[in-house]
Amino acid sequence: MPDPTAPRRGLSLDVYAVALALVLALLVRLNVIPAVKW
Amino acid sequence: MASVANTAHPIAEPIGLGRRVLALIPGLLLLAAVGYAGKFIEQFIAAYTKSRHIVFPNIEYVLWAIVIGLLIANTVGVPRVFQAGVATYEFWLKTGIVLLGSRFLLGDILHLGGISLLLVAVALTLSLTFMHILGRSFKLKPKLTSLLAVGSSICGVSAIIAAKPAIDADDEDASYAIAAILALGALSLFTFPLIGHSLHLSDKAYGLWAGLAVDNTAEATAAGALYSDAAGKVAVLAKTSRNALIGFVVLAYAIYWASRGQAQTIGNKAQFLWQKFPKFVLGFLLISLLATLGIFTKPQLTSIANLSRWAFLLTFAGVGLRTSFHELGKQGWRPFAVGAIGEVFIALVTLGLVYGADRFLHL
Repeated sequence: MPDPTAPRRGLSLDVYAVALALVLALLVRLNVIPAVKW
Repeated sequence: MASVANTAHPIAEPIGLGRRVLALIPGLLLLAAVGYAGKFIEQFIAAYTKSRHIVFPNIEYVLWAIVIGLLIANTVGVPRVFQAGVATYEFWLKTGIVLLGSRFLLGDILHLGGISLLLVAVALTLSLTFMHILGRSFKLKPKLTSLLAVGSSICGVSAIIAAKPAIDADDEDASYAIAAILALGALSLFTFPLIGHSLHLSDKAYGLWAGLAVDNTAEATAAGALYSDAAGKVAVLAKTSRNALIGFVVLAYAIYWASRGQAQTIGNKAQFLWQKFPKFVLGFLLISLLATLGIFTKPQLTSIANLSRWAFLLTFAGVGLRTSFHELGKQGWRPFAVGAIGEVFIALVTLGLVYGADRFLHL
């Protein structure tokens, strides 16, 4: 098991998560991806 | 909490981006399979009971996904090949939270978030004081008590990881505190919805309570969603407000331990606060701002909200898959006892605060 308390390197997970969410929102806004069903 | 980058490969053995992404695929497929199985079971039971006119309470996919994950993790275990992908559940949690921002108008966030911050400040003061008295009574090491106090009053494992280097705590203390918080988080998933229903709490009141009292963001989100969709939404908002305070609490502890000569002095405090600030909160606010400005049409908002639900589906599968009762049981009873008594105290205090807020501040 990796050490969960090890210091992080580079960009944090949060930044990647925000980037992915914004890209997905943009693709929805531009109608690039079809309506997402649940 | 381990990041994707940390868990995908050993640091000593650098591998290319392509191979790192490939290493995530088996675990991602497992998350999707477990999460989708939970959704399938919910829909199957609903259709079956409806077709036979049987009155049966709807058990949300959240619970099924967590239970299937727990069964796998605690029987056959999660093989090594799946572990890197399963560890991405926290990434999906944060992506889901940012996307969920589209379901809030900025005004709602300011109203409910403001109430949450007010309640968090009161609960925080009481719970930190109580945890330290408790730690002293159980003769825990002071830094372990600090970690447990931070973990149970702010945001669980993330807070402990943020506080550990800042107060120069031992690895062993951090592991104890993390194990206790994870075990208690798993328990809260099953107890909070039952208590909420027995007290007939409204969706808003329950969501606020779950967001203020359950430690880890993943468990708080799941505990809210187990009650209702609306409660899940409020729980995420309350928990996000609580997470935003992480830097201030960790900074206060760092200054305290540095003043006693047992941790390094913090130089640039503003930089420290920014470093510890959970950036996904900003993403959540940004998407909410875009939604408030009318950037998205109604069907587009529905699509973004559904993307958020798919991201949470992967998260809930991961919550079950990463919880090993065997591992948690190894950590000794005293940190667990302090954590458990502290959690009950925090749950009662926050429940009282939420009742008060519901009555006087009109949630």
